[in-house]
Amino acid sequence: MLSIALSELVQIFRNRLVLVTSLVMPVVVSAFFIYQHEVFAALGSLGYIAAIVMFTVGAFGLYTTTVTTLASRRQNLFLKRLRSTAAGDTGILSGLLLPITVISLVQVAVIMTVLAVVTGEPDNVFLLAAAVLSMVIMMLGLGLATAGLTNSPEHAQVTTLPVSLGTIAVASWVGITGTEELTLLKRLLPGGSATELAVNAWNGGVPVTESLILLAPTLSWVVVAVALASRIFRWEPRR
Amino acid sequence: MTWSHWQMCAGTTEIDCMSSTPVIDVERLNLTYGDFHAVKDLSFQVRRGELYALLGTNGAGKTSTLEIIEGHRTATSGTVRVFGQSPRDRRAVRPRMGIMLQESGFSPDLTVKESVRLIGKLTQRTDTVERVLSVVDLTRKAGTKVSQLSGGEKRRLDFATAVYGAPELIFLDEPTTGLDIQSRDDLWDAVDKLREDGSTIVLTTHYLEEAQQRADRIGLMHRGAFHREGTVSELTQTLPAAIRFSLPAPAPALPLQATRESDGKFLIETFGLQKDLYTLLRWAQDHAVELRELQAGPTRLDDVFRAIDND
Repeated sequence: MLSIALSELVQIFRNRLVLVTSLVMPVVVSAFFIYQHEVFAALGSLGYIAAIVMFTVGAFGLYTTTVTTLASRRQNLFLKRLRSTAAGDTGILSGLLLPITVISLVQVAVIMTVLAVVTGEPDNVFLLAAAVLSMVIMMLGLGLATAGLTNSPEHAQVTTLPVSLGTIAVASWVGITGTEELTLLKRLLPGGSATELAVNAWNGGVPVTESLILLAPTLSWVVVAVALASRIFRWEPRR
Repeated sequence: MTWSHWQMCAGTTEIDCMSSTPVIDVERLNLTYGDFHAVKDLSFQVRRGELYALLGTNGAGKTSTLEIIEGHRTATSGTVRVFGQSPRDRRAVRPRMGIMLQESGFSPDLTVKESVRLIGKLTQRTDTVERVLSVVDLTRKAGTKVSQLSGGEKRRLDFATAVYGAPELIFLDEPTTGLDIQSRDDLWDAVDKLREDGSTIVLTTHYLEEAQQRADRIGLMHRGAFHREGTVSELTQTLPAAIRFSLPAPAPALPLQATRESDGKFLIETFGLQKDLYTLLRWAQDHAVELRELQAGPTRLDDVFRAIDND
């Protein structure tokens, strides 16, 4: 798995397009949110900024790159090549997705740290870490499922739009309006409960046990996504 | 033979070992895609040390068969055993087999050296990148990105990863497509060397002369099933040899039954080539007739192939 991950890391840094769209763009967008933090804090809260930068990296960095990478490796038969070796399927997928996952986690950690330095520390760092991790796992699951529907990297530009724009929209909706109204709907939408968890972790004022329950809907999305992926994910291009 | 081969053959003679142990055992294999029956009730074995060629017309089912044996595809019914185990058990089987895919399947952003190192490591066999690259004459291209390689160079890279660590079983799916003559010769030299060391080879190719020259046995597939299976001579013996020539007009009656082809040449089909050729030459000498453009030879695999297509 590590040798696949290492080669994947090399490929990410050699492909400028991936580097810019997956790594640079989320950082630029997040930097804008932090720079304009007073405006966005007034609109929602500091927790909203934390949630939105988290999902910016998760949706446009992690999720989009996951789908594009898997579609690309499938299209040029690299997945089939890897499956011609003694490596197992789980090891192959883990190796392919490990670099972008680690990069995304580092990005979120750095961006959150900068946000904390600029605006003040979050109320509960561990809860925030739980929100980030649940978001990462959900995005990976959704990425695997979407990759099953995606024929090529070009096709990924279309197939990734519903989830990436949808989760950003949900994060904005929940982050700005809160969950006092339409609570169940907001929590069940992908990204809704992870956003609420991040907002609670940053702003405080909500008991930890009450916030931890919010992990359940996010992890349910992981189960749904993985179940979908196991049915529709393909290792070879359609003939 | 390598040490691992010797270990497997302990207690038997080399010939017994090579001929009796099936490396691949396929029994009543079927594969269907919806209503389409791609592989029909196929049964065959590949013995240790043998070069087995799986040939067939386009869409005959040979790639589907090969992919099931390699473990890339699941059969609808039937059993496949490789080294006595399911080919789907990758951890058990793959370290012992090398696969040269029909299409390259390398990442364009990795270099030749990085590609061989990665795939080589994942095979769990022991070898060096430098040795393997020298076998396929890609040492000078070690630092070149795969995207910058020619089609032939990509095929050689593919071959390099298949033979990394000299596996016991090697699948070569159209290995020489896109290669120039020198590269082809080099590749076959490398295959010969691997066979000397005891490797078993399963080959598919559209270059029938390669199969005719090198295969110990051939499975000829047509519409998902074996049309014929056997050695080259067993396959070619099923069709008559041909003697072709033209005659100056007028000419005396021929001593053998001949047919006239569209280009005006005479064709004698025979299962006794040597005897009938002698009769014809004697007749020509006795009647002072010149046999022009005389061609005589045993049946080639191409003829067997054409006969299948015409069925």
